[in-house]
Amino acid sequence: MSGTKRGSRNLLEDVLKAGLCTGCGACVTGCPYMAIHEGRIVVLDRCTIEDGDCWRHCPRTPTDVSGFSEKTQGVPFDFLEPGAIIAVEMVRSVDAAVREKGQDGGVVTALLAFALDEGMIDSVVCSKKDAGGAPHGFVARTARELLECAGSSYEAAFTLEAFRKIPAGNADRLAVVGVGCQMEALAKMKAAAPVNGGNPQNVQLTVGLFCGWALRSDIFRPLLEEICDTSRIVKFDIPHSPGTSFDVYTKDAGKISIPLDDIRPAINPACQYCWDMTAEFADISAGSAGSSFHGWNTVITRTPRGAGLMKRAVAAGIIEIQPLPESRMTKLKASALNRKKNALRNLARKSGTREDLGYISGLPAGLVDALLKD
Amino acid sequence: MASVIAADNPGAAVLLMGNEAVARGAIEAGIGVASAYPGSPTSEILPAIADVSGERDIYVEWSTNEKVALEVAAASSFAGIRSLAVMKQNGLNVALDFLVNLNMTGIGEGGMVVFVSDDPGAMTSGNEQDSRMAAKWFDNPLLEPENAHEAKEMVAWAFEFSESVNLPVIVRGVTRLCYTRGNVVLGDLPAGMRKKARFSDVWDMYNPTKSKFTATPSPVAHRLLHEKFEKAREILENAPFNRYSGPDNPELLIIATGVSAAYSAEAVDVLHLKERVGLLKMGALWPLPKKTILQWLSRTKNVLFVEEMDAFMEGSVMELWAGAGLHDGGIRFHGKCSGHFPPCNEQGADLVIKALTDILKIEHQLIDADYKREAAEYMRLVPNRPINMCAGCPHRATYWAIKNAIALDGRNGFVCGDIGCYAMGFGPPGFFQARTMHAMGSGTGVANGFGHLGRFGFDQPVIALSGDSTFYHAALPALVNAVYNRSNFTLLILDNGATAMTGFQPHPGTGVLATGEPAPVVDMEALCRATGAEVMVCDPFNLTETTQAILTMMKKNAGVRVIIMRHLCQLVKVKRKIAPRYSMRVEPEKCIGESCGCDRLCTRVFGCPGLMWDSRAGKAMIDEAICVGCGLCADVCPAGAIRKEEVH
Amino acid sequence: MADLSKEPFNLIVAGVGGQGNVLLSAFIGMALVREGFTASVSDTFGVSQRGGSVTSHIRISRGVACSSLVLEGQADVILGMEPVETLRALGEFGNRAVITIVNPRPMQPTGGVSYPDLDEVRQAIIKLSARTMFVNATEEALEMGDPIYTNVILLGALAGADVLPVGREAMVEVLKARFPGALYDVNLSAFKKGEELIRDAAGIFS
Repeated sequence: MSGTKRGSRNLLEDVLKAGLCTGCGACVTGCPYMAIHEGRIVVLDRCTIEDGDCWRHCPRTPTDVSGFSEKTQGVPFDFLEPGAIIAVEMVRSVDAAVREKGQDGGVVTALLAFALDEGMIDSVVCSKKDAGGAPHGFVARTARELLECAGSSYEAAFTLEAFRKIPAGNADRLAVVGVGCQMEALAKMKAAAPVNGGNPQNVQLTVGLFCGWALRSDIFRPLLEEICDTSRIVKFDIPHSPGTSFDVYTKDAGKISIPLDDIRPAINPACQYCWDMTAEFADISAGSAGSSFHGWNTVITRTPRGAGLMKRAVAAGIIEIQPLPESRMTKLKASALNRKKNALRNLARKSGTREDLGYISGLPAGLVDALLKD
Repeated sequence: MASVIAADNPGAAVLLMGNEAVARGAIEAGIGVASAYPGSPTSEILPAIADVSGERDIYVEWSTNEKVALEVAAASSFAGIRSLAVMKQNGLNVALDFLVNLNMTGIGEGGMVVFVSDDPGAMTSGNEQDSRMAAKWFDNPLLEPENAHEAKEMVAWAFEFSESVNLPVIVRGVTRLCYTRGNVVLGDLPAGMRKKARFSDVWDMYNPTKSKFTATPSPVAHRLLHEKFEKAREILENAPFNRYSGPDNPELLIIATGVSAAYSAEAVDVLHLKERVGLLKMGALWPLPKKTILQWLSRTKNVLFVEEMDAFMEGSVMELWAGAGLHDGGIRFHGKCSGHFPPCNEQGADLVIKALTDILKIEHQLIDADYKREAAEYMRLVPNRPINMCAGCPHRATYWAIKNAIALDGRNGFVCGDIGCYAMGFGPPGFFQARTMHAMGSGTGVANGFGHLGRFGFDQPVIALSGDSTFYHAALPALVNAVYNRSNFTLLILDNGATAMTGFQPHPGTGVLATGEPAPVVDMEALCRATGAEVMVCDPFNLTETTQAILTMMKKNAGVRVIIMRHLCQLVKVKRKIAPRYSMRVEPEKCIGESCGCDRLCTRVFGCPGLMWDSRAGKAMIDEAICVGCGLCADVCPAGAIRKEEVH
Repeated sequence: MADLSKEPFNLIVAGVGGQGNVLLSAFIGMALVREGFTASVSDTFGVSQRGGSVTSHIRISRGVACSSLVLEGQADVILGMEPVETLRALGEFGNRAVITIVNPRPMQPTGGVSYPDLDEVRQAIIKLSARTMFVNATEEALEMGDPIYTNVILLGALAGADVLPVGREAMVEVLKARFPGALYDVNLSAFKKGEELIRDAAGIFS
């Protein structure tokens, strides 16, 4: 099904209006007919292309998840596992300042800064929040710029739109940081480069972020504006304990805790159809799920390229590692699988049949029935 | 070059446009005052008079609207000076309230002519209407010329007629008359000193009924009007503009008015029907010259009415016939009642030929059927040529910003359009953004209403448009109303420094008079601020900034916000010899044309006529014969292939 | 100079709004009146005045004025300022005897409408005309430095083609009356350029 050729009209009908848009930002890369504004994809005008990159790169158009997994990870795909795994460990940045600015262990920021420093890459496609605003795609070229992007946004960040800021012909080696849907989109972009936009073939490193759901800025931001001056926000967090509060750190008022239930209406409904909690198509995935202690990240090293970077970063004293307890590993696998079941169930409900799982294709026969039998 | 309009060369034949002939007629009649609001198809009349206003000692003005123009002309008449007011059909509607009362009071000693042109086919208008109905509705004398020469003669004659019945006289044109150039034989120009203007009927405390220019008591004034009307009818019975040609007892009588008389004559000619069909060409229409008409009705059994738009003569003559008790004769009437002519659109001789062949049961083959078939096959090659704004038009920039701002805003905002070049915004040139369009100033007026519907759940942002000239004409009261009544919308005033649609006439914001002399500027921005609205000014060619400004104003969602979009009309720039700002070129290797990521954004969507699509190469090109170097397309091109270089 | 072979004699000038055909037609009308003819010059607009097609109807007679519009299939001469517009005019006013003078430079329609194959259009024009003459007026005008001269070049071509009952003297007089000083000189050379071009344009007979 990944060979389907469609254009922006179909994207509008079958993804945007169908409530499937995850906010990855891939479709606007190089497209003058679409834009991102305040957390929404906006169609500015009528495009007549019937075989468009927007459709081709969207993670919610038919995707052969098995095929892409093999291509990006180099190993056969197992839908029951949380992606290809070389190692799963608890990791944190040695630099406390990075930990403070980043989320939990600050590993993602530390690793990428190291990759920039050692010359593995020239720039990082990531997301950034300007004061008071929703996050947007950004190309960080220095460790300092990278640090400004640190910390979870919890909002769909349209990260991949940043490719439109990379001039055609630019040869910078890139790293991309993003959640599962963005890694899927990136895999699609690498498989067929956009006609007009930066070159995803130059991506040397992908760092995935664990993701439970993302907030829609167009709903979330007005909620935030009611409780604080959004231009003074420093960081968001959902602490492990009690797990029911959403904390907003501001420059003036310190921590403001909001009941998590209050922000649930802002969760992107498209996230219920997402199967990929741990960003399985990345070289390295990181998050907090599974970690035993506050201040550490759980990191899944997936590819030899990712493993190499980890090894060098440890040797350089950038990060420190400790093993993940077995019980935590079991829990992580269970949540990842549970996410897949939920996604399949919700997709089947949306279409009315298990035969039609929307964008997901390439799953082995019988697997879906087995997963959905309870 | 000296204006041919004022050439003192009686008897000479010159080629004049209908509008110029109207101007010449008024000059020959010795008018002292001419006033108008620009409106095609009449826009050329006032400038033609303005050109010679110095040498002929005539006061001319572009008024802010047609009602004011009529009032200005009336005052002149009250003071004994002949005056001409000019307007298009929509303008007459604006002026009617005054005209209705002017009829009641009567005019002064100076004759007064109101030249109104209709626009069958709506070639230069948003609507079609038959203004002759106003004559019947409000008891106005009415004349309608056939061609440019008759227009000149008729306008000159109308002043005497006006003075002898003490009423303003409407001369009705149509677009085809106004814009057709034809031979006009010049008449004498007035000589000698102009008489002194004086408002002579000073209110007399011993005889209050002499307070002449108020229509009180109204029933008395109305009765007087009808008495004048009977006198007017007598004059029209012998007017030189109603002529019959044909046999004494025609098999069929054509009654045709204005330009339709020429179409009818040609049809009779083409069909060789001069021995069978008579043509009563009518130019003096109202009050209906009953005797003249009855005399010809009594000589035929078949009547065909040929007139554009409404069945004005058709209905009136049939009423007359019914009331005259001549039914025994048994006349068959043809025209709009019989379906031979539509009540809309422009007509030509072809329709008259069709009607005559049908009624008289004759065969006629005008064209070679073989040739027609062959030609028809080639017509598949002929594309439509859609309506467009000029290369470099600031409205294109404004609409581009509006389109993007409305999309980004995401609340299904929409545009209440108005009258002017930017009315094209309902179609591709304005990216289909304008969604309502009615009368001058109605964009703002209608937006007023939308702005109060929030209480019923209405949550779409509203953008009203107004041209600069339109702003002074009719949008200003609507803006005042909006602020006063706390409406909620954004008004964009498209200030391109001229009344562009009708030929770049000046307006109160331009600092120039109809004669070209300097005038005080009535500051649009200050006027808007004085209403209490929030006001900002943008140059629409700064696309990003303009889009952001519109977006910000839309988001405020309370009160009245005004953005003045200020950029000179490209055609005015050409007239003022303002050189192009940029030289433009396309780098073909960068142009991605029909590919994803462009899909011919510049030639397919943006649509400036200065851009061409080279279908063989699959690349965009600049058409150097049309491009004016505004540079906007370079800002729109998604591939950076269109390059602009500042011209020094 | 040709005399009035037919009454009325019908000339159609077909072009696109902004090409200057209205002025060109007025010049022809002025020259005709100067020579004692009765002329009627009237323009019809397609969808619009700006960028839309514009057709001028020039009707020539002795004595009484004609109505403004040429009847279907009744053109004697078509002066086409643009190929597609020439073909459009042939479809409406053409006939087996019509003589066509064409400026072959296309003006592309806007709004995403594509232009037909130019060779096909040329062939169709030739087929539907008794005689066709192509005059590269826009190219010459651009060479003179401004496309604005296109219409006066075409006026010269029309005068040189000797198809109208009015000759070059009257037309030159009109230019002289219309353009002051140096402007007259440059327009006169544009006019002469048109005369030259038509001399070199072999008439193509269908």
